[in-house]
Amino acid sequence: MKITLTVNGAEHALDVEPRRLLADVLRDDLRLTGTHLGCEHGICGACTVLMDGEAVRACLVLAVQCDGSSVRTVEGLTGPDGEPHPLQRAFSAEHALQCGFCTPGFLMAAAGALEADPDLADNPEAIAAVVGSNICRCTGYEPIRRAITRAAQEQRETTV
Amino acid sequence: MAQWVRREDERLLTGKGRYVADIDVPGCLDAAFVRSEVAHGLLQAVDCTAARDVPGVVGAWSAADLPDLPRVPYTLLAGLSTEDAVAGREWPALVKDRVRYPGEALAVVLGEDRYRAEDGAAEVTSTIDPLPAVVTPSAALDDCVRLFDGLSNIALRGESGEPIDPSVWQDAAAVVEARYRQQLLMPSPMECRTILAVPEGDRLTVWSGHQMPHRLRRELAALLGWPTDRIRVVVPDTGGAFGSKSAAFPEFVVVAHLAVKLGRPVRWIEDRLESMLVATRGRGQDQTVRLAADAEGRLLAYELTIDADIGAYPHLGAGLPMQTAWMATGAYTTPRVHATLRSVLTNTMVTYPYRGAGRPEAAIAIERTMDLLARRLGLDPIELRRRNFIPLDAFPYETPTGRRYDSGNYAAALDLALETLGYEKWRAEQARRREDPDALPLGIGVSCYVERSGGEPGGLHEFGSLEVHEDGTVTARCGAAPSGQGHETVFPALVAKALGIPEAQVRLVEGDTDEQPEGLGSFASRSAQVAGAMLQHAATLLIDEARTRAAELWDLPVDEVQWADGTVHAAHDGSAATSLGDLVKTTGPLRVEDRYAAGMAFPFGAHAAVTEVDPDLGTVNVLRLVAVDDCGVVLNPTMVHGQAFGSAVQGIGQALYEGMTFHDDGVPHLASGFLDYLLPTFTEIPPIDIRDTRTPSPTTPLGAKGAGESGCIGTPAAIVNAVADALRIADPDLLQMPLTPDSVWRAARASRHQEGVR
Repeated sequence: MKITLTVNGAEHALDVEPRRLLADVLRDDLRLTGTHLGCEHGICGACTVLMDGEAVRACLVLAVQCDGSSVRTVEGLTGPDGEPHPLQRAFSAEHALQCGFCTPGFLMAAAGALEADPDLADNPEAIAAVVGSNICRCTGYEPIRRAITRAAQEQRETTV
Repeated sequence: MAQWVRREDERLLTGKGRYVADIDVPGCLDAAFVRSEVAHGLLQAVDCTAARDVPGVVGAWSAADLPDLPRVPYTLLAGLSTEDAVAGREWPALVKDRVRYPGEALAVVLGEDRYRAEDGAAEVTSTIDPLPAVVTPSAALDDCVRLFDGLSNIALRGESGEPIDPSVWQDAAAVVEARYRQQLLMPSPMECRTILAVPEGDRLTVWSGHQMPHRLRRELAALLGWPTDRIRVVVPDTGGAFGSKSAAFPEFVVVAHLAVKLGRPVRWIEDRLESMLVATRGRGQDQTVRLAADAEGRLLAYELTIDADIGAYPHLGAGLPMQTAWMATGAYTTPRVHATLRSVLTNTMVTYPYRGAGRPEAAIAIERTMDLLARRLGLDPIELRRRNFIPLDAFPYETPTGRRYDSGNYAAALDLALETLGYEKWRAEQARRREDPDALPLGIGVSCYVERSGGEPGGLHEFGSLEVHEDGTVTARCGAAPSGQGHETVFPALVAKALGIPEAQVRLVEGDTDEQPEGLGSFASRSAQVAGAMLQHAATLLIDEARTRAAELWDLPVDEVQWADGTVHAAHDGSAATSLGDLVKTTGPLRVEDRYAAGMAFPFGAHAAVTEVDPDLGTVNVLRLVAVDDCGVVLNPTMVHGQAFGSAVQGIGQALYEGMTFHDDGVPHLASGFLDYLLPTFTEIPPIDIRDTRTPSPTTPLGAKGAGESGCIGTPAAIVNAVADALRIADPDLLQMPLTPDSVWRAARASRHQEGVR
């Protein structure tokens, strides 16, 4: 089935089997391997990407469902000038990653939340909900919460 | 680089990490395994014919189609198991005639991609005559159902310490007994198991997320009948391991065999449901304990009896309970300690190391029993521990169970934990609530653990080298293989400090058997302790070599050449001086390498938890957790703290949420994956304080002990003790992990009932 997918700003005309997962098309067809598959049944969230700005599990979305959509992956977080996203800097600063396998999913879930709510920093419960939506087996989550909070505070300061 | 705390961070945060599944090899085939849906049964037939006709399928094989398929290599590593345990109990890589655990592979299908391979796997048919399945040691012990005809299910018996004379129990002022279940846990790294085997000429390159690349190379070479130098094992970024990624698994054997047979690249990327069914499990012990004390609360004797669930084939897990037996003594001066064990085969995937690997089972048993004894004696559990700690001046301390503890200050760790927690404040709150009929009961629990890190005798060494380049940069190589611990950051910093040069001048190469010909790997919390000490040792060799060369160059005695900040200079007037890079330019390539052996180290700590329990709902709310860990000299506080925190959360998982359960037919309850097997999420994380004390290990000049397994070892008993304290449960058997609402509700009711009867 022919679809058009915009990924990280680049448009791709693809011919995909209807059964193929968005995650597999990103990883195998487009070689964007930053999106990781951790459970393939929608629980762990490692494969979280933004689809038209909304966080989705790329293991629960068929690529054909994304026809005409705009998808953003971890590879699209860094600015065009190569400047790291505030979340990327904050994750490193707070030691919010160890093995790094779940990290792209947390980054994208947090990026979606940050973009949807400029005042995320004022809403610890919303940040907790983002952290609580994915599984990390290394960090114990608290450093991830701190990292997202840090990036949210930075975002608010730069937008004020 | 300044904006990245670890060297690993930039690539892992920008999607440029490279895990095995990310590696693109043209023409690579994906393997999908056809798995048994029964736990135990006689295999009558497997038919792969239809699978071979599926478009995109390149081949499909059962064991009958692959007569040359080697068996799964067993391991006698670290003296933990024996030849007797494995004799006659061969583990075929594909089932030959009998299925012994659910999900055991019946056939393999190779496809042009995973979709095609799974299409093919769906067409494979099999006939299995089911046999009764035994999934607990108690069910398997009587040999009514045998996994191997003519052989007992008991694969190994072991003991530590000496049998205790019955008079000790008879004469003691207090004796307590209990039974504990250490449930089966899934290590659950976020990346499941991976292998990619690429034939190139007469060699095979194997990429795998793995903790022991050299062992994998050795085992694969043996099963292919090749010299080891024809195999290169590379460990790229690895998405966690926690002990579960150090073997040559059945699927690895099949993939390597088929890659060589077909002369094509083949990979197996395990998916999560597959992993939940057939990845190795941790823990799995049924324990009985007996602890005696005199009227003053001085411990007299401790007995630990273990029936260990080792799964369907005797592998490393057969010997793991010995670790529990050796560590049975805990942090106390108990004069008589005896531990006995039976390693019992069951119809489950094999038991294997999972973060803690034998030590949590020892620590949880003694620490729960200490609280039980304190209750019996009417003593504060803190006071009972203080009276029995191995004192500071007793180290090195020989335990009755055969361990020689290197160093420790157990009371200091406990003091810091109580101070951080605010122990007296919580006791006051507990007393207040006990007077308030509307307040939920609150409990405080502590757990003072001592563990072992580094490995067992014969496996306490590591290999590595330092190489200086003409530009003055240094390449460090070693046999460790990280899975998230930040070696690329920590080890160059260690080498740079030892040499007195900027960190940026040192880089680390690990996880490639072509780069580093010998190595042991990363397990048993050993990398900082052993590989770190090895690199520090190599730095001293490098300095010696540089001084020797400079002395020759300047025609001076060596002792008149000094080393400072990456340069050699003449001691008397400093007139002659040369940097490392210039020395190499002048005198030629400079590389030092060695094998370095450390001693066993014994990290320790004290964890304290406060829980609030709702007896009507059975829910446990952890209000506060304090973990004080002592891993000797800390190389990088941020990373050790991070590991301790994550480890504590895994400890919470064992205490409250995680555990395998089974249907009557022996098949695990896993239909809904991570909705059935509950890993802690952020919602379940209490406020956690991580603190440390630092008591160096005298076994190496570096003084580091192992870090990272602390939480899995120390945290569970603290939480269970806190729940028992809240509910004032006199019978410890009522509380078995995980403390689910159902089990806590039943325990609370039974406890009330018992109190009513009294």
